[in-house]
Amino acid sequence: MNIVTLLLAVLPLTAAGSALDGWLDAATGGDSLSPGMGVIEGGGMLRGDLWNLTVQGKYVVTDTTEITRKFLDEYSVIDVNFKVREGATIVNPDLVWIMDFNEKTPKMVLPDQGGMAFRHGYYRPGLGLETAFVENFRLNMRGLYWNLAAEHEDGSDLGWTGFMLDGRITWDSPWNTSFQAGAVTRKSAINKTGYAKTWNRYDVGVSLHPGGMPRNMYLTGGVTYSVYDGRDFLQRDIPDRLIARIRLMQMGVLPSVTAGTSFESVFDFDGNEIRMACTALEAGLIWKFMKKARVPSTAILSGKLTRSAIRTQTARLFTRVHVFRGLSVLAQARARISPTYVAGAGPYRKSYVAGPGLEYRFGNKIRIWGIIEHERTNLTGNENWWRIKSGLELYPGTVSF
Amino acid sequence: MTRYAEYLLPVVVVVVGLVLLAGCRGPVESTQLVVDTDSCLGCGECVEVCPYGAIEIIDGDAVIDPSLCHFCYRCVEQCPEGAIY
Repeated sequence: MNIVTLLLAVLPLTAAGSALDGWLDAATGGDSLSPGMGVIEGGGMLRGDLWNLTVQGKYVVTDTTEITRKFLDEYSVIDVNFKVREGATIVNPDLVWIMDFNEKTPKMVLPDQGGMAFRHGYYRPGLGLETAFVENFRLNMRGLYWNLAAEHEDGSDLGWTGFMLDGRITWDSPWNTSFQAGAVTRKSAINKTGYAKTWNRYDVGVSLHPGGMPRNMYLTGGVTYSVYDGRDFLQRDIPDRLIARIRLMQMGVLPSVTAGTSFESVFDFDGNEIRMACTALEAGLIWKFMKKARVPSTAILSGKLTRSAIRTQTARLFTRVHVFRGLSVLAQARARISPTYVAGAGPYRKSYVAGPGLEYRFGNKIRIWGIIEHERTNLTGNENWWRIKSGLELYPGTVSF
Repeated sequence: MTRYAEYLLPVVVVVVGLVLLAGCRGPVESTQLVVDTDSCLGCGECVEVCPYGAIEIIDGDAVIDPSLCHFCYRCVEQCPEGAIY
């Protein structure tokens, strides 16, 4: 009996009592500098009572504006992920396979002045384990292995491999608080240049999700202290780091309005010096109106400020207004200050993007959209672009066997 | 009391955040970039612009290797969600 016949006989038995979900997203667009960019993404999940198999694929052609030079400009990602549950334990083998299609474009800078290289892709197998103990203890472990297909600029094989092992224990205490302790080790090695570096991180953390908050208010917060054992690209010790986060969401602050705020602060412990390394504040308002229409209308206004070695400022507005049947009118605007890599443009760039669009939904199965944007960015001079983007999202639903 | 907390708590978080932002000595010599995993969509645009191979998408979030990152800030500039800083 050949293998195809065997598979045809076995697969229906394995699939019995299972269900298949599939999805497809496609987005394309272009402007005068990048006419052919696009993303096609699709996948499917076959699931049974105690297992699921997810296969996802993505094909990307990036823009080529050179505003921020793309190191990868045409590539695909395939991710095969299998999860099987036995009691309170989940075993999760996974394989990610990336292929770069533009052979000489993905040019990488090798660490430790190792020269340049051309990447052709890589595969990354992994194995995860999650299990629960008594008294709300959970253990998560995962190992990942990288093998890059990359060629040194002199034409020889790089032999670049990597390995990461990640483990974490969490205790969900009865006081609306979770305590975590974990460790990560990561190793990278390049045979061609003799580069080999390992760093380790040890974390302890506490997460708060208090109950008894006022009506429709949700608060989460957490503090994590990480001790690093390793060196950065300048061979300096990586300092220890304390990260504190708080997130607050309040529904119905005004009728049909949800408000959200998050704040993050990061401190570095570098020898005897303690310094505030990064701070970020984000706030947003979501207003839902015409809720009885086939597609609820929404307006989202948000802003974010960050400060670290660089600063960024972002303000955004997005609206969807239902018009007729599945048709909605979209409008979006964004203003941003961010650092820029463009030579001669100064350390920061200001960009303003705005434009209208249309969206049509066929129930929950199909969504088609298109947006026209105008972008104005100050680089070496003021640059203006018109850009058109469109997309199709398809979710055919669940098929049960 | 809880009625006041509904309105006061968001205001307190924003005010404290603004005070700390203003008090931050930034720009400082930050030793690592931060990825806000709540904002990160895992779209991979940061991976596309990193010439050092320092960024990976793992479980739908960008993960930066602090030993490979060269602080070129291309990922900060490119991230459509402003999730890296």
